[in-house]
Amino acid sequence: MLVWAWKSLIAQRGAVLGGALGIAGSFILVVFFHAVFRGESGQIVAYPEHMQPDVWVMQRGVRNMHMATSSVWDWKADKVADIPGVARVTPILYLNSVITAGNQKSFSFIVGLLPDDHRAGPWEMVAGREVSSQGETVIPDVLSNLLDVSIGDRVTIADTSFTIVGLSTGTYSMANSVIFVAFSDLERILSSSGTYSYLLVDAEEGIDPEALAGKIRREVEKVNALPHEEFVENDFAIAMQMGVEIIFMMTVISAILAILIVCFTAYSLVMRKRRELAIAKALGMRGSAVLFGVVFQSCILTLFGFAIAAVFAMIVIPYIPLLLPQLSLTVAVSELLQIGVTALLVAMVGAIIPAYLVLRLDPATAFNV
Amino acid sequence: MFTLAWRELQSDVLRTLLTAVALGSVIAVVLVLQGFEQGQYHQLERMVLNRKSDLVVTQAGISNFIAVRSSIPQLSRADVEAVQGVIDAHPITAIPIIYEKNNLRTPVYVIVFDTRGGPTSIVDGRDVEKGRDIVIDYALAEKYDIRLGDEFLVTDFRFHVSGITREAAFMMPFAFIGYDGMIDLFLESEIAPDLSTFPLLSYMLVELEPGANRDHVARDIEARVPAVDVFTPEALAARDVNLGRIFLGPIMGLLVAVAYVIGLLVVGLILYVDVRGRSRSLAVLKALGFPWRRLMVAVACQALLLLVIALPVGILIGQLLTTYIHAVAPVYLVRIFEPMVLIKTIVAGLVFALFGALIPVRSLRRTDPSSAFAGA
Repeated sequence: MLVWAWKSLIAQRGAVLGGALGIAGSFILVVFFHAVFRGESGQIVAYPEHMQPDVWVMQRGVRNMHMATSSVWDWKADKVADIPGVARVTPILYLNSVITAGNQKSFSFIVGLLPDDHRAGPWEMVAGREVSSQGETVIPDVLSNLLDVSIGDRVTIADTSFTIVGLSTGTYSMANSVIFVAFSDLERILSSSGTYSYLLVDAEEGIDPEALAGKIRREVEKVNALPHEEFVENDFAIAMQMGVEIIFMMTVISAILAILIVCFTAYSLVMRKRRELAIAKALGMRGSAVLFGVVFQSCILTLFGFAIAAVFAMIVIPYIPLLLPQLSLTVAVSELLQIGVTALLVAMVGAIIPAYLVLRLDPATAFNV
Repeated sequence: MFTLAWRELQSDVLRTLLTAVALGSVIAVVLVLQGFEQGQYHQLERMVLNRKSDLVVTQAGISNFIAVRSSIPQLSRADVEAVQGVIDAHPITAIPIIYEKNNLRTPVYVIVFDTRGGPTSIVDGRDVEKGRDIVIDYALAEKYDIRLGDEFLVTDFRFHVSGITREAAFMMPFAFIGYDGMIDLFLESEIAPDLSTFPLLSYMLVELEPGANRDHVARDIEARVPAVDVFTPEALAARDVNLGRIFLGPIMGLLVAVAYVIGLLVVGLILYVDVRGRSRSLAVLKALGFPWRRLMVAVACQALLLLVIALPVGILIGQLLTTYIHAVAPVYLVRIFEPMVLIKTIVAGLVFALFGALIPVRSLRRTDPSSAFAGA
């Protein structure tokens, strides 16, 4: 029966290819949603991930950076610096805001840097230089293209005008492009003084970051201290969590669509071969064997569609940001495998109606179809 | 040709039904994707308009309600109220927080209000009346299984849920508290020692005297109080929607494009399978002298008829999916019945049908009239 099912598929290559492409399209929708959220979440944590201090210190009750607000008195930075095992403390000021150039706007993640602070600044520059004085800013290269501004042009953040002195790379995200400005400028925008947002703590060699974080929490009042990995994980989780529900819903919707396409294609294949199936039944082929053949066809069709979607995801999706640089897309193999499991379920459910028809097929019709 | 196409569809009702459902599902996916995007913009718009004011005062240089930090000097309230035509300048403060319970974290936009700007769609319970009262969004209540009277912890400060509202915006649920609650939160929680960077007054909702000219009053306020900018609620909402478009536009555009391609493929597949399945009857028509172009018209008619059947099916499936989305994730509003969404989808459906009808052209052209007599 498997041979018959296979040959039957080969004989209707056009229908199989069309059905597989439709199924692939449904899965590609899901893959896109996954890729968009994973890619964007990855970019959202780009700043903390690249800074890589051993420990992050912030206001107690705060556990991440994305969409969070943290405020720590400046004297607490001195207190942290005095703790044995701490090699260096780099404070930053941070604000979620909007950057404006002409009529164009973008969500941004403004980082205020102390004078001569190279520790917490951009990790890769493509043009110009880092911020060295007030009124200067470094913006992502992608953002400069989108806003149509370059070095020497002016942008506005909360009514304060800045001159672009450098372009960084790897710092763009749709939700949070990382913009660097002078600490004093951001202090003025925030109307604050004597406070930092986060402290980047580098430990001396051989010091366990987890133990150091615990020590900071114990010795400095009302601050939270987290090892770098935990801090980045928290940030990534917050970013991804906003997409979890959408991804789940889209997976369900696309799975339903795929089921219907499988069902339609399998139904068409069965109806075209119903006379052959009736003859097979008339010749004594058991119903379960015929049923198995239909499910097999449905599985092959779905897996073919899934394979096309997987190839598309691995080969085409990584190149889409070249056309649309504002998109950050990341495909995770584990997520593809999850979609693969969904594909198997789709194949089974999609085979129900054709299977029902096959089981009801009267062998006598072999002689009068 | 329509009669021929119609009879063809009637010849296998189950198959026509399956086809309509498959095509309707594609239409539903396009509808839901576009409705999702429009829903987010609608939420962004309502976020400002629901605050119910004649004018909105922001920090100078701040022209949005979302994704920004607006901080207005507290003394400027008296200056704004002194402007002719202003009855009252109602204060509100926006505090983004991250709510955490059972290791699940959600960003929440907390709006602190006094006399105006509070929740407008309370579905259960009552408004904020006491210091520790909080009105939370339905999406938040559902996600964390929070009921009226339950505790709601914000950085170790205990609020009590007095009401549940249906107001979310741009992937974030709202929560509303009073100024007494905010001060208690600041003083009793861990925030207190590092208060200096927290805005105590973010926006003012200006109530005007009847007949006062909004533009004139806005200009007068800006002239009198240089630390602020003034917008009509509609203008501020439009700026937020525009910001939302910058964020969502490229993603949704790409996804809708993928859905369009699937639509084309599904229609093409349906018609291709149909033409292959009817190759013998088409050969008869060719043998009778029908040119292949007329047969193409028949296939296009069939595609259009299928579309006519599939459209209501698609709208029905779209509505079912929308109901499902609102039940699973109430923070996201999906508006499939927006006129623009419907028009775009119908036009897209027509394009699916016409371009999909082109896919079986090759098969149609290659149909051999002599095959009509094979096996006869």
